[in-house]
This record gives sequence, C-alpha cells and structure tokens, in this order.
Amino acid sequence: MELSGYLPVLLFLGLAALIAAALLAIGTLIGPKRPGADKHAPYECGFVAFEDARMKFDVRYYLMAILFIVFDLEIAFIFPWAVVFRDIGLIGLIEMGMFLLLLVLGFVYVWKKGALEWE
Amino acid sequence: MTFEALLFYFFAAVMVAASLAVVTLRNPVHCALSLVLTFFTCACLWLLLRAEFLAIALVLVYVGAVMVLFLFVVMMLDIKTLPGREGFTSYLPAGLVVATVMLAELIGLMGARKLMQGGPVRDAATEQGLSNTEWLGRALFSDYILPFEIAAVILTVAIVAAVALTLRRRPNVRTQDPAQQAATRKQDRLRLVDLPHHDGSKQA
Repeated sequence: MELSGYLPVLLFLGLAALIAAALLAIGTLIGPKRPGADKHAPYECGFVAFEDARMKFDVRYYLMAILFIVFDLEIAFIFPWAVVFRDIGLIGLIEMGMFLLLLVLGFVYVWKKGALEWE
Repeated sequence: MTFEALLFYFFAAVMVAASLAVVTLRNPVHCALSLVLTFFTCACLWLLLRAEFLAIALVLVYVGAVMVLFLFVVMMLDIKTLPGREGFTSYLPAGLVVATVMLAELIGLMGARKLMQGGPVRDAATEQGLSNTEWLGRALFSDYILPFEIAAVILTVAIVAAVALTLRRRPNVRTQDPAQQAATRKQDRLRLVDLPHHDGSKQA
C-alpha cells in the first residue's frame, strides 16, 4: 500500500491525540486543586497501604497472560487468511479449519484442566 | 531528500535512542516501556518498507500481548531498581562477540554484494501487483501449508506446556458456588427460637 493510503490512519491518530490532550487540559484548567497528604497517598480498596507493591505474585497470573499471547498469535495468522480467502478457495478453508481445530483442542484442554478457573 | 527518507531517518533515530534506553535505564518498568517504543517505531519503519502485515502483526502481537506479559512480569517481580553497571566489563567481550556475529549475519543475509552492484531489492508482492498482506496470505495458504499447520501444532504445544508448568492444584481453598448461594432458601439458614422472658415465663 502506498504511504498516502495511511492518511486516514494519520487523521485518526491526530484526532485521538487532540481529544486526549483536550481532556487533560480541560481537567487541569477547570478542575479545583486542593492537594493534601491523604489524597496523594497510595490507595487500595480503602485500606492504608501496609506493604510494598513489588512482591512475588501467584504464577497463575502469568498463565493467563501466556494463554492470551497464544490466542493473540492465532489472530495474526487469521488476518492474511481473511484478506485472501475468496481467492484460495476450499483448500484455504480446510487449512484454516485444521488450524483452528488444533487450537480449539488446546482451548478445550485448558478449559477441562480448569486453568481458567479462579479458585 | 525525499519525505520518505526524512521519515526513515526520524524513525531510525527514535528506534536507536529507545533501544539504548532499554539497556541503560535503571527502572525495569521504564526499560519495558522503552522496548514498547522500540517495537512501535520498528513497525513504522516496516510500514515505510510496504511490509504492512508485519508492521500490524508487530503492534498486535508484541506491543499488544508480549509487552503486556513483560510489564506484568517486571511489575510483579521482587525487583525495584536494577543495580548499577557492575559486571559491565566482564560481560563486554562476550557481548561484543555476539554483536559482531549478528551484524555479520545480517549483512550476509541482506546480500551485501547484490546491494553494492546497485539496483532495487526485488519485492515479490509488488512484482505481482499485490499488497503485502495479500501476497503473504496466498503464499501461506498455497506453498507453505505444512509450516502453517506446524505453527498450529507448536501453538497448541505451547498452551499445554504453559498449563502443565504453571497450574497448581491447591487443596483447602474455600470458594464460593454462586449457584448454591442463589438456591439457598430461608429455612436453610434461619431458625426462629422462643427465648424465655427475664421473669422466667414464656412469651405468648
């Protein structure tokens, strides 16, 4: 694609940046400012923070993130398929079917193992 | 200098600066965020090279997913700020060797001789008048069927391995069963009893 084709993308980016800057500016200009020690304190569900945030977390948070990456990669393969699937015909459809079947098998495994359950 | 060349130098400069920040900043969270900037600028460079699919995939997969995992790990690990440059001199020779080998491989890969003879690098997609994504899709689903399916197998293996490595059953964990909670009746929980009055007589 020629670079000029990205003009709408550039417009979107510019508009998004403009809206973000405008929201921040309006808040800064109009909002009342009465800072205090309590307002700047770290806050967690109404408790006073009693420990450092940097601590060892349960490994299953990472499991969720890894599973997310795997299924995100799957999407990266589906994109080019979606662009050309009219041209490549039945073979492409079967191929993608096999691809998805394998990953659905993985998904069923994850589900049945209870890895998505939060005890 | 054309506008595209200007863009290229701008993105390249940002990328080099961001990747330097990745290895020099002290706060690991800042390093991870610099890596995000590096990936994003790299995607911009690939867009300039008309490799739009790779660019979008880089943003989608690396910026969107992999870096989320990185930040996740960095923020949850028990490290605050990295120690200084201790061990810099002892790692320097090995690092230089690795960097030199990688540079040599890159130059060899790009076909330095062909570039020196001049002439543009051939691009299979533009030669066929297709967009990058279309060409990639056609190639992937005609010539490279087996590698594509192998990729699916590898992804499935990755899922199974991730679950096998990290899933731990813990007994004695108290959990709520929402269905059971909702199905509770008043008579399961509540018992009305008559308590004797303070003078000993029962209430009417």
